[in-house]
Amino acid sequence: MHAQRFTALTALAAASALVLSGCAGGNAAPAADITAEPEYSGTLSILTKFAGEPLGPYFENLAAEYEELHPEVTIELIQETDQSVKDKTKTLTASGALPDIYFTWAGNWAQNFIDGGLAADLTEVIEPGTEWGDTFGEASLSAFQVDGKYFGIPLYNNGKFMGYNTKIFDEVGIEVPTTFEELIESCAPIRAAGYEPIAFGNKDGWPALHYLQQLFAYNVPSDVLHADFSPATATLDDPGYVTSLEQFKTLVDECTDTGTGTNGVLYSTAQEALAGGRAAMYYQEILEFDTVTAEGNVVTPEMFGIFPLPVPEGAKGNPGAIEGSPEGYLINAKSPQAALAVDFMKFATSLENATVLSSPPYGQPSTIVGAVTPETSSAAVFDGITQVNEASELIIWLDTVTVPEVADAWLAGGEALISGGSTPEQVLESVRNASHSAE
Amino acid sequence: MLLTQPSKTEEGVTAALTAVTPPPRAPRRPGARRLLGLAWILPAVVVLAVFVYLPLVQNLGFSTLEWDIYSGSQEFIGLDNYTKLVGDPIFWSSLWNNVLYAVISLAFQVFGAIVLAAIIEGIRNDRLRRSLRAVYFIPSAISLTVAGLLFYFIYEPNLGLLNYVLDAIGLDALAQPWLGQESTAMVSIIVMSQWQGFGYSTLLFAVAIQRIPSELYEAASIDGIGPVRRFFTITLPLVREMTGLMIIVTISGAFQVFNEVMVMTSGGPNNSTQVLGTWLYRNGFVRNDFGYAAAIATVIFVITLTIALVQLWINRRRRVEW
Repeated sequence: MHAQRFTALTALAAASALVLSGCAGGNAAPAADITAEPEYSGTLSILTKFAGEPLGPYFENLAAEYEELHPEVTIELIQETDQSVKDKTKTLTASGALPDIYFTWAGNWAQNFIDGGLAADLTEVIEPGTEWGDTFGEASLSAFQVDGKYFGIPLYNNGKFMGYNTKIFDEVGIEVPTTFEELIESCAPIRAAGYEPIAFGNKDGWPALHYLQQLFAYNVPSDVLHADFSPATATLDDPGYVTSLEQFKTLVDECTDTGTGTNGVLYSTAQEALAGGRAAMYYQEILEFDTVTAEGNVVTPEMFGIFPLPVPEGAKGNPGAIEGSPEGYLINAKSPQAALAVDFMKFATSLENATVLSSPPYGQPSTIVGAVTPETSSAAVFDGITQVNEASELIIWLDTVTVPEVADAWLAGGEALISGGSTPEQVLESVRNASHSAE
Repeated sequence: MLLTQPSKTEEGVTAALTAVTPPPRAPRRPGARRLLGLAWILPAVVVLAVFVYLPLVQNLGFSTLEWDIYSGSQEFIGLDNYTKLVGDPIFWSSLWNNVLYAVISLAFQVFGAIVLAAIIEGIRNDRLRRSLRAVYFIPSAISLTVAGLLFYFIYEPNLGLLNYVLDAIGLDALAQPWLGQESTAMVSIIVMSQWQGFGYSTLLFAVAIQRIPSELYEAASIDGIGPVRRFFTITLPLVREMTGLMIIVTISGAFQVFNEVMVMTSGGPNNSTQVLGTWLYRNGFVRNDFGYAAAIATVIFVITLTIALVQLWINRRRRVEW
């Protein structure tokens, strides 16, 4: 009797909640018409992840120029950082207040919005063969392609490389390592010369995942790795995972000064250690290159070199894979301003604006063909983007390629591995459990 | 007349008031008085209902749902989220961290603060007493987020002040990656929190001690009672209501802790500093499991409500008057 009453009360509470929340499931707004002629009036809201310096002014300038071209249009910018944009996007999604244009990563992050009907199908205007689509590198467009349809507007490409101080390498007398083992061996002489071999900060958790994903790509066969991203097909039992986790732990213990305490260091502190000439290497995204070599830093563009994380000997995965993916924007499928939103993004991705984006101080290598050249971009950015374009495979970030529950397990596992709280086998087991639970 | 020549006597005042007071109205009917009373409190009731009680009911409802924020679909799953709580080891470790936080906070921010307040209020030099109050209160004026960032840099393993000082005084063996390892991260956060909140509690207790009639202390001194016994027999019993209030506030605060953990560790490393608030956030905003997050929120509500009710009940039975 009591149980029945409790169940009835629970059901009543749930029903009340549904009523009170207005049955949040449905939004009766009409689907976006992206092919319509844009009406140059009203307010266009845009959620970016370019908050702060040096990226903040990019969209601010774009908005000002667009408003000048179309005086009846007002651009409402919501600028967030790499970390805060995640919370902001989910809050806006849950409250049914997504902006007309919003930032997205490739992989599971974008997939959620596409599956939820929140991303407009842009195929008619952006697929390869269309006027706008042909201005993009085709591989960039395909990062947001689902079931033959194109949903995303890739704004810039990205990839992960080991950035190094060429002066320190010369001083110590070492060459760019060609294998993972050589990389580890190079750490002792660098430390003996008074420098931190590899600066690393893992307070946010994801920097460890960047190392791990690149090592997984090297050590785990590509088809197995891709199957393991989805809980429905994942087995996560390839020996390459444990090998990768062991290699990562070796790198942390032997090549970083903070070792097991790396979880208490910000990635930006590590970035500054390289920029300040205190560290010889720092594993970083192309997007960071121009920040590391910005004016006033000890490391100048001439002293800065990059190489992909070297492949371990005997690795059974894809040695030509590079971790990275384009990042871009989706258009709200329920936006009444969808046509105007498309027009704004065409403006943002014009060759002129794409070149500005690719040049210092922004240094975000545009996905627009011809925007990144040795003349417009720094040498490191051009080198990085060339290697990304030539890579046999691009592997999306581990924290966005798989479902959040599994990504979260990798995140905690990476931290536990660094601090010594878990062995590689225990980390893999916890991820397997999370994947099983998410299935 | 009344203004220019005020009467000094009670009779005079009464007479003057009678002269200017209009004849009394007929008393309102009880029903009308009740309606008027309700009308006065209605705005407050509406605000409370909309912004406090309605979200509470909604949250209870959400905790019985599997909610996909992307598609907007909501499926009723009964008590599954609560069953999941029972088997979630991170939920239990988060709860333990909250309990640890509460226990240490009680020791410092209630019992430590009473002692410190009594010491400060016992200082005869006015200037020194005021200065000490200000010195202890200053950390409380700093936002918790700012304090968290400040301590993050104090604890930083490479460049942090704490390890630097330990190194400088020859205790470099004690230097740790304070926030970077499971064994020290939670305690390091709690230490920061005590630093931040200690002065505020001390100030409140100082105000409570100031309200104690000085005659009691004077009588005790004449009787030759020393300061320690005066503290236990006069101060402690007579600040009981403030103590009760501070216990509620401190424990409730300990179960709602969020900012300092998010700023300093985000719940890491390896979820070792998760508290209920951050675990709720992580499930909602990182794992997209808003139903489960709502279930955790319900647990936090039940815990804090229970603590508040118990403490209020105890205090009501032991009210002190003088």
